[in-house]
Amino acid sequence: MIIPVRCFTCGKVIGSSYQTFVKRVQMGEDPKEVLDDLGLTRYCCRRMIISHSDLLEELIPLG
Amino acid sequence: MDIDILELTETQARFKVTNTSPEVINALRRVLLSEIPKMAIDVVEFHLGPIKDADGREFESVSPLFDEIVAHRLGLVPIPTDLSMKEKDKCDCGGEGCPSCMIGYSLFKTGPCDVYSGDLLPLTEGDASVRVKDELIPIVRLGEGQAILVYAFAEMGTGKKHAKWQVANGVGYKYLPSVKIDASKCDNGGTCIPICPKKVFAKEGNKVKVVNEGDCILCMACTDENICKTGAIKVVGDPTKFIFEFETDGSLSAKDTLMKGLELLHQKFEDFKEQVSTLEA
Ligand SMILES: [Zn+2]
Ligand SMILES: [Zn+2]
Repeated sequence: MIIPVRCFTCGKVIGSSYQTFVKRVQMGEDPKEVLDDLGLTRYCCRRMIISHSDLLEELIPLG
Repeated sequence: MDIDILELTETQARFKVTNTSPEVINALRRVLLSEIPKMAIDVVEFHLGPIKDADGREFESVSPLFDEIVAHRLGLVPIPTDLSMKEKDKCDCGGEGCPSCMIGYSLFKTGPCDVYSGDLLPLTEGDASVRVKDELIPIVRLGEGQAILVYAFAEMGTGKKHAKWQVANGVGYKYLPSVKIDASKCDNGGTCIPICPKKVFAKEGNKVKVVNEGDCILCMACTDENICKTGAIKVVGDPTKFIFEFETDGSLSAKDTLMKGLELLHQKFEDFKEQVSTLEA
């Protein structure tokens, strides 16, 4: 589905970091360093980003 | 209660609180979580039926997500808050909605495209102070022939009602740690060095020294009798001194949040005092 706006556990806004994360990791950066750089220090917020699967594209024709 | 700021940025704060007690510091934590008011989108009106853009092309008002989910996502977007604004039902307008208790936004996008929080435009045009600061939060993605047209209204609330009105997150504190090694008992074996998750100990020459006292999380792994057989390490947390930290979602600055929290706490204690005094009479 689409990236959640906030971390389920602590409530930090994480939605805005997702695209930057994906882009920078595709460019070959270390995911750990990108997450640190984006200010996602707690592991609850980090799992929101790394475990997300972006499937919204497949739902568009069903809208 | 004395506060020494250790770190303060726009959205993060870390400070040392001295001359206090666990009860008071926990009260501050709870006030920061659930009592600070802020703006959040609460009412979202969706335009239903066909939508025409400026060129006369026609779109359908559908999106891959249910309207309820879009409204929920809009609610979670941090809205810049002016603390002088009032809660809707306590406002002079009597709950109808007016500029001193409500901020209106419009959102119009036609597909195929991504819709972001930055596409929310304040209804009071040109008012840059109420524009959403975090412009990169994805709201929904639109396909060919799909469009979204909504009016969203933000109002004041507190975290007690819904988490979207919660200003601070990651609020926590620890007792100020004190780690001491009794040099007369220590055999300088260094078993405590690898066991410490925060790397508090290190070898200096052939002596084990405390090098990072402030990072200690009072896990007591080093005082275990199987680790430090001589019992030379003494770790204590001081229950009158605390390291406190929290961050905000960006709707209020960390400084304003802390000031408001302390103000509310003070007010609550005053109210309580007054109520107790009527009991005695
Ligand atoms: Zn989190
Ligand atoms: Zn009003």
